[in-house]
Amino acid sequence: MSLPPPDPQYILRGSGAQINTLHFRCDNEGPPLLFSGSGNGAVHVWNLNTRRPEKVLEGHSSSSIIWVSTLNSRETLISQGRDMRVCVWDLGEGRGDVTEAFVTGSVGFCQCSLLETSPGRWLLAYPGEQMEEVRVAEFPSLIPVCSLKPDSKAGMLMSVKIWQKDSGGCPEIVAGYEDGSVVLWDVTQRRPVSCLKVYSEPVMCLDFDSGRLKGASGSSEKVISSWTIDEKQNLQMHDSVELVNPGISQLRVRDDGKILASAGWDNNLRVFAWKKKLRPLAVLKHHTDMVLSVGFSDHHDPRQRLLAAGSKDQRISLWSIYNQS
Amino acid sequence: MHMEQIDDPKIAFAFLRPSCVLLTQEPTVSNVKALRENLHSVSDGALQQLQDYVLFPLRFVLKTPGSKREGLIQGVMEAMAYVLENTCIRSWESLRDLFSELCLSICSPTDPGQPAPVSEELKTAVLRCLDALLHSAYGDIIFQLYEPTMLPGLGAAISLLLALAEHERARGVQEAALKCLLSLLLQCDCPKEHVAVGQDQRYVLGDAFASFLPGITRALSHVISGDVRQGHAVTVKAMRMWSRTVGLVMEDDQLQTKRAKPKVASELGRIGELIVHRTSSWSKATAKRLNLVLQKIISCTSAHRHWRVRLELVNLSDQLLTKCNNSLGECIGPLMEALVGAVNDEDLTVRERCSLVLKEIAQRNQTTGGQAFIDVLSENLHTLASSLPRLMRTTDDQRKLFLLNVFLGYLKILGPQVEVVLSSAAHLQRISRGLMQVLELDVMDVRIVEERSAVTHVDLRPELYNTRSQRKHFLYFTDDRIFSVLGKICRTLGYYGNLYLLVDHFMDLYKESSVYRKQSALVLNDIIAGATGTGVEVFTDRHSGINQEDLMSVIQSIIEEYISVNNWQLSTVTDESNSEPKDKLNQSHVLPVCNNLERDKLQLVLEAKCTTVHQLNSNIWQICIQLEGIGTFALVLGSDFRSVLMTTLYPVLEKAGDDSLLVSQSALCTLNDLCQACAYSSPKELIIANSDYLLNDVSLNLGRPSVHPHAPRVLAVMFSHSDASLLPLVIDVVQDVLVALDLSYDQRAPLFCAVLHTLLKAMVQWFPTHNGQKKLPAGVSVEPQTNFSVKQFLVDYCRQKELAEGIGADEEDPNDSDIPPSPSCREENIDGPDMKPELPSHVTIAKDIMERCIHFLSDPSLRIRLKVLDMLELCVCVLSEKQDELLPMVHRCWSALLQRLINDDPLVIPRAFRVLCTLGKTCGDFLRKRVSKEVLPKLTASLAKQARISAKAGPTYAHTVAFKVQLAVLEGLGPLCVWLDLVDSDLDSVLEACLLYLSCRQPAKLQDASLSVFQNLMEVDPDACWFALNELYCPASFEPPHPDLQPVELCGQGQPRNEYTDNVLKLLSFISGESPSI
Repeated sequence: MSLPPPDPQYILRGSGAQINTLHFRCDNEGPPLLFSGSGNGAVHVWNLNTRRPEKVLEGHSSSSIIWVSTLNSRETLISQGRDMRVCVWDLGEGRGDVTEAFVTGSVGFCQCSLLETSPGRWLLAYPGEQMEEVRVAEFPSLIPVCSLKPDSKAGMLMSVKIWQKDSGGCPEIVAGYEDGSVVLWDVTQRRPVSCLKVYSEPVMCLDFDSGRLKGASGSSEKVISSWTIDEKQNLQMHDSVELVNPGISQLRVRDDGKILASAGWDNNLRVFAWKKKLRPLAVLKHHTDMVLSVGFSDHHDPRQRLLAAGSKDQRISLWSIYNQS
Repeated sequence: MHMEQIDDPKIAFAFLRPSCVLLTQEPTVSNVKALRENLHSVSDGALQQLQDYVLFPLRFVLKTPGSKREGLIQGVMEAMAYVLENTCIRSWESLRDLFSELCLSICSPTDPGQPAPVSEELKTAVLRCLDALLHSAYGDIIFQLYEPTMLPGLGAAISLLLALAEHERARGVQEAALKCLLSLLLQCDCPKEHVAVGQDQRYVLGDAFASFLPGITRALSHVISGDVRQGHAVTVKAMRMWSRTVGLVMEDDQLQTKRAKPKVASELGRIGELIVHRTSSWSKATAKRLNLVLQKIISCTSAHRHWRVRLELVNLSDQLLTKCNNSLGECIGPLMEALVGAVNDEDLTVRERCSLVLKEIAQRNQTTGGQAFIDVLSENLHTLASSLPRLMRTTDDQRKLFLLNVFLGYLKILGPQVEVVLSSAAHLQRISRGLMQVLELDVMDVRIVEERSAVTHVDLRPELYNTRSQRKHFLYFTDDRIFSVLGKICRTLGYYGNLYLLVDHFMDLYKESSVYRKQSALVLNDIIAGATGTGVEVFTDRHSGINQEDLMSVIQSIIEEYISVNNWQLSTVTDESNSEPKDKLNQSHVLPVCNNLERDKLQLVLEAKCTTVHQLNSNIWQICIQLEGIGTFALVLGSDFRSVLMTTLYPVLEKAGDDSLLVSQSALCTLNDLCQACAYSSPKELIIANSDYLLNDVSLNLGRPSVHPHAPRVLAVMFSHSDASLLPLVIDVVQDVLVALDLSYDQRAPLFCAVLHTLLKAMVQWFPTHNGQKKLPAGVSVEPQTNFSVKQFLVDYCRQKELAEGIGADEEDPNDSDIPPSPSCREENIDGPDMKPELPSHVTIAKDIMERCIHFLSDPSLRIRLKVLDMLELCVCVLSEKQDELLPMVHRCWSALLQRLINDDPLVIPRAFRVLCTLGKTCGDFLRKRVSKEVLPKLTASLAKQARISAKAGPTYAHTVAFKVQLAVLEGLGPLCVWLDLVDSDLDSVLEACLLYLSCRQPAKLQDASLSVFQNLMEVDPDACWFALNELYCPASFEPPHPDLQPVELCGQGQPRNEYTDNVLKLLSFISGESPSI
């Protein structure tokens, strides 16, 4: 257990700005890709085989990109920028055009969240015009589904994750607010189901594991907390782990639900055991500035599932860890 | 050529009749001759009609009992031969009778199988006649000659001919006999027309000759192995006869076909005993006997001096392998060996014929898939492989070359079957052991270790490294051809073998022990090359080529192993720590007297050292071979190798800067290969295009200096070969370098400083500063004064003095603020009111580096201080356009720099002074006050002090450090004063110090430097200069222009010529050139 933490497998350089968000796409249609959204409004499409950007997309008038994702294939990209717009891109056959765009009206930093409800149909949860509002729209039709606003004074919406039980069922949303509370929303009934005050500071980030009905959240404090949803649909504190330095930018649970990665303001990437208790596994040091984003690869070969971290120091580090099963 | 021939048979008859009749009546030589001459006048057609008639008298002569004179018979033979050569025998009776008559005419009367003791000429004539007879016989009758009833006669004839061939002394007779035998076999090789032999007829022939096979083979083998002096033609003919006979009798087709048994022997009486039934048991027994004979033949002909004999051996092998593949199963081995051995014959014809034959065999083998054949081959191969290790140790180069060629030949013939053979672990094991043995390198050469790459700067011009120059030295052979054959063997293995299997096997060997590592790498390199068909000459194509993806994965795994830390980070030079004791050792070695104990100790140490030298040599070779491999792999993969560059380029580049000459050259060759493979025009382009990959490794490795000490070196190479486009990527890594420097400044500072120095040099090139040459300060504008009047001068002087005082008050503001505000310089803000404009990245980098320079300026190591001063100078150059950034930094580093200028090693002072000059050039009057207060007094004082010493010094003084300091200061002082715009007292002190150096007693260089100072100062203040010079020596007296004015009196006036005169005069003339009248 006393092995020294590994070095990154590779560093992607040259984005020219801080990296706010990362998204892997490793289907069989081509080389594995990593999409990165940076502070200068560019979305880089990195080919992970050549480790070079295949394409650089500019569509948010130089406003910071805060979130990117892909829809049904690698050829449809969706991006959210600080220009209050969400854009849908067509990347097929070398194109790079915005095909659709809509204005969210949100001036905050809250990232969107996407859920595929049935093949070809998605629900997009995004921050609304009012700062505490979560809106849900159908995708790709963009028909608004609902707008969710908490009754109490929870403050600005900080983070949102839309999910669905693995067995199916109605979509639900966990949302983190400025006052440090996490709220579970039932999307179909459009009402808050449960509320849990986790922090005294704003919730900076959260992720939710729909298989275990367990989520994790981080704030500007030193603590990463995990919480569960019990049979009565109540949010319950589950576990927490204290860090040396405060501030978490992002949390990600790997698809297999084995590990959780955190992007820290202390320039470090941390890895925790996720299955049962939160247990620190490794501190990955490389970056020289705040780590802003973290993501796991969706490669079909588990051994090639990488961990990526994007930082304010403009680098993206790729790590090959805990994937030798 | 003849006179008109007689066509009409009647006339011909009439013409020939007299001579025929005469001959019958009086058989004399002259009559025969007459008939023969007459024959020439008859056309072939007419002669054919008169054949019997003409032959009759001739035969009559032969048949006449009683002793005849040889001359007569010879004449008859010649005449008969003429007839036979020009006509055809159509009747079987004639053929039979003539055949026996001819034979009888030279055979011994007691034994028809032995020649009579007659003259050579007669034998030749009879043989020629016999040959003509066999050629002239019609196809439908000649085969009756081979019927069982004819066997006795045929046998006698064959015995006779064999006896002639074997025992006759005369070469011509031997040849003629052999030719007859061939004709008898209907396999004559002369250019005349021959009877076509059909399939059935071959059987008839085969049956007949089966009876005589033992005799023929035995006798001919005697001929073949006979005296070398008999001439090659006989040997060749005998071999041909041998192979044709065996090829006919033992022909697979004939032996395999079940035919109705020929006539029952009883009908034939005793003749039946002669008939041989070619049953399978017979053929087996025969093959066994033939094998023995064959081996004898091969052994005495394979190294025959004459190439035709060796060629015939190839033909023989071809003949037998083609026709008797099955029946002579046992002989295949020796035959193949003979063939394969001739592949590299010294004669081109033999070589070509041989490879053609082998190619045919290989192809035939593939199409028919003769398992027995393959078995034999792989058995041969196995036997050879098993003995290979031993043979490689014990035999000489020539033999090794032959054996390896044979080995290669087997592989080529086996073709795609090689894969099957290699799948046997035993085979592969033996082959690889043989290869490991023979490829062992000789690592005793100390020169390899001692050759250092002298160049500190890696030159990447492509044309320099086209070939790998260094020859490898092997322990067990010296002949280069052996190495080349070994390469071919490996490539052929790679071509036909299962790539995964081979690579696995040799990778295991590679990993298993360092003893095999270099050899396995050599083998692996060639296997991969062979797998793609590079440099492989083969007879048959393999079944399927290797697909590119598999190849890629195999190559990647090999490269991964090659460049893993244990196999790549090998020491190639003796460490610094080791080199010191070595020197001591050498010294003690030189001592003539040392007691035994000491000597023993010395011996021990030497031995220990030797092993390390060999280890280093071995390391060097291992790296070189691996580098070669990478180059080969790249060429094999072509542009697909680009993705492998990600992992490979860094290690290769790292080795390009290795201390060992051989390694560094080898790496450069590999770089060239990479360029060629990936279609880059030059290594430079390669590096630029892949700088992102390189930088990634560099930045990761910077963090692990103990394992990867060469990252800075690679970075330095990159800097010196890229352009400004690299900068965005570089910034990132430079930060890493700086961090690494901060973390381990004590151990690695020299390396990192070297890197940063390279970077700064590169940046100065990438961003040329426009106002690098700072314009002269405003005050020193020298305007040409042509109409000079004293009045105007005074007016101007007053005005300028006032003006100067006004500005001077401004300038000499005691408020020595760190950042002089200069709002006009500030660029426009883009990003909003509260954000500072972002600095260009090269400026940021230069600032960051300069920051470190401040610390390192007072480093205890002299080398580092010198380096840092160089860096500082470059930083200043880069920052020269950003005064806002430069000046605060200059302020911060001033005190450290000052210490270098006045309190440091004399080696440092010139360098520091140069930095000061650069600073003066870029910062101008920002430094004036500091320089005049803190630097100038000390400098001028030391100059003055040293002037006394240098004036007295001898010529060797020019080599001292003190001299160099003086020179540097004097050379820099002039421009510095101009740039700093020094005035009055400062200038005076400078002038005072420099005046001392105008003495002709000073070394010439110092005088020149001092002159240059004055020339510079004249631009600033010509009057002061003039005055100072005249105080020293004044060549003229001055008349005041107006009587009211005081006469000018100068100290130098009226002085005798002194040590300063020459230089003062030079300078004064220079001043007057500038301002002609005063």
